[in-house]
Amino acid sequence: MKRITLTIATMALMMASTAFAATQAANVATVSPTMNMSATIQKAVSLTLSTGATAGISHCTVTAAGGSPDYSLDFGTVDALGINAGNCNKFNPAAAGVNDAIYWSDYQLLPVYTTHKVFAGTTVTAQVTTDFAAPHNVFIVRDTSSSNAATVTTPSGVGNFTALSTASADTIGASGVVSGTALTRFLGVEVTPANAANVLQGVQTATVTFTLTVQ
Amino acid sequence: MSPNRLHQHTNTAPFAAAPGSRWRGFVRSGDCGTLLLFILFLCVPAARAATDLNLTATATGVAITPSGANYQSSFGTLNALGVPPAVPTTGVSIAILSNGALYFTTLNIDISGGLSGAQTVNVTAYASTNFGHPAALIVDSCPSTSSCTAAANFAAMSTNVGGQTTVIPSMGKNTPTQIGLAIFVPDNNGGTAFAGSDSATITFNANINGSGTFVDTVSLSLNSPTETLQTAVQLNLATHGSGLAVTAGSDYSMTFGNVNALGIGPGAGLTTVAQAGGIIYSTPYDLLPAFSDMSSTSASISVCASMPFTHSTILVLEDSSTGAGGSFSNVSTNCGAATALTSSAGDRSTITRYLGLFVSNINGLTAYTGADTATLKYTLTVP
Repeated sequence: MKRITLTIATMALMMASTAFAATQAANVATVSPTMNMSATIQKAVSLTLSTGATAGISHCTVTAAGGSPDYSLDFGTVDALGINAGNCNKFNPAAAGVNDAIYWSDYQLLPVYTTHKVFAGTTVTAQVTTDFAAPHNVFIVRDTSSSNAATVTTPSGVGNFTALSTASADTIGASGVVSGTALTRFLGVEVTPANAANVLQGVQTATVTFTLTVQ
Repeated sequence: MSPNRLHQHTNTAPFAAAPGSRWRGFVRSGDCGTLLLFILFLCVPAARAATDLNLTATATGVAITPSGANYQSSFGTLNALGVPPAVPTTGVSIAILSNGALYFTTLNIDISGGLSGAQTVNVTAYASTNFGHPAALIVDSCPSTSSCTAAANFAAMSTNVGGQTTVIPSMGKNTPTQIGLAIFVPDNNGGTAFAGSDSATITFNANINGSGTFVDTVSLSLNSPTETLQTAVQLNLATHGSGLAVTAGSDYSMTFGNVNALGIGPGAGLTTVAQAGGIIYSTPYDLLPAFSDMSSTSASISVCASMPFTHSTILVLEDSSTGAGGSFSNVSTNCGAATALTSSAGDRSTITRYLGLFVSNINGLTAYTGADTATLKYTLTVP
């Protein structure tokens, strides 16, 4: 009887050979370990700038700075009479010494957003967050469009520009901005003919902050 | 009446018996009637001043069973990977090595009778009947001068009577001395692969130190029951270099952490790979196959998503051999037609693959944010 009991116990042990951890087994030719995978998905937004590609005009280069600021754009040497060519395009003053000159360029915004359930009201705004210093004889201007279209009319004169707000954000991509569709817009610096002891000369910088809001 | 008392002898020079003979004691030659004494000695062996080499179990070692003048034991069920159910006989431990498994135990050897108090013997041993499959099962020993609880102190025992392995350099009588005995089961695939029953016999010989005179021999047969060698397979997963950590536990897990379809801020160990419709988070990892006593020297490995992510259109598991852009393909979600990773996996090889997690850039009502889980099932098959 003892011998029978021992035999049964031995058989039970052998039959249990594949019931251990699935990384290893004896007396078989196959083993199947598993690996649990986990991830937490987050929604994401991205807004990148790049050099414009509008036909028929020159383009100031938008350079990724890789930090703060994220990008830079240099209009070159400018003056209120439109004497200097600047780095891209210019509109001379209608009346020298009376009206302003504008040096301008196109540029592109690429809004991308993912994993958003609600996005139909998505917008892009811009605001001068660090302005040129007083007396502001030079200031940032933008095209007057607020469309969400991929392209807007290429400016044909100073009338197609308006000062970019320093107090609040201006909509440059209206509700309905599409993820992955580049927006071509126009940006410039307007130089006034002001004369004063404190007018700005030399290299001046300002910062424009663009904001993509998915909503 | 004892012959020893009838015939007093003063010559204490031991009689040299040949190794392997069944004479287990001193035979004193002497003054007269040597032939008669010899005959009486043979007829009444129990009455002589016997010198016996004995094997006994240690407190933690395998059981040693007397069998006539010799002994029997067994290490049980073995395999080269030391994987369950290779829990061998009580008293046998497993050391899992990089090229096999060592099943080891300790036993005591002592010698009684015959020797003077100043005499010591050395004990040698050899596998007088080696395993029938010497590429699959190897008798190892550990000398009394070493700690026999460490695999490094074991070495293959001689199979040659003319060049035996010294297991005890010096031992006085009635002094049980511990040695180690082991069966090394190496990885052994291909033509010499073996799975089944086998046995071996180890012969121990004691010789007096100094004179070299043989005094006794015993054998230990590893046949009660016979040793059982099984095939074994194993597939481990491991972290590769600076890749995402592969964590052991039911059976493995890998956490990608926070992911998004733009690949912003991949976690440590992850890189992003461009992919239309989203992005792939990629990490290398290692597959570590091992197998033994298989006729084939190569194995196949496949993988399937036995449980895809709940949001299976947003998160998709992918595989690549290089991790390069464009090289990823979806891991099958049909385990009946799993994604083949290799058909030439060698024993103890390291196979580096890249696991990709595709994150869709979809927006809208089907978009999902939050945690999700999936399970990959890897299968190693040795044909």
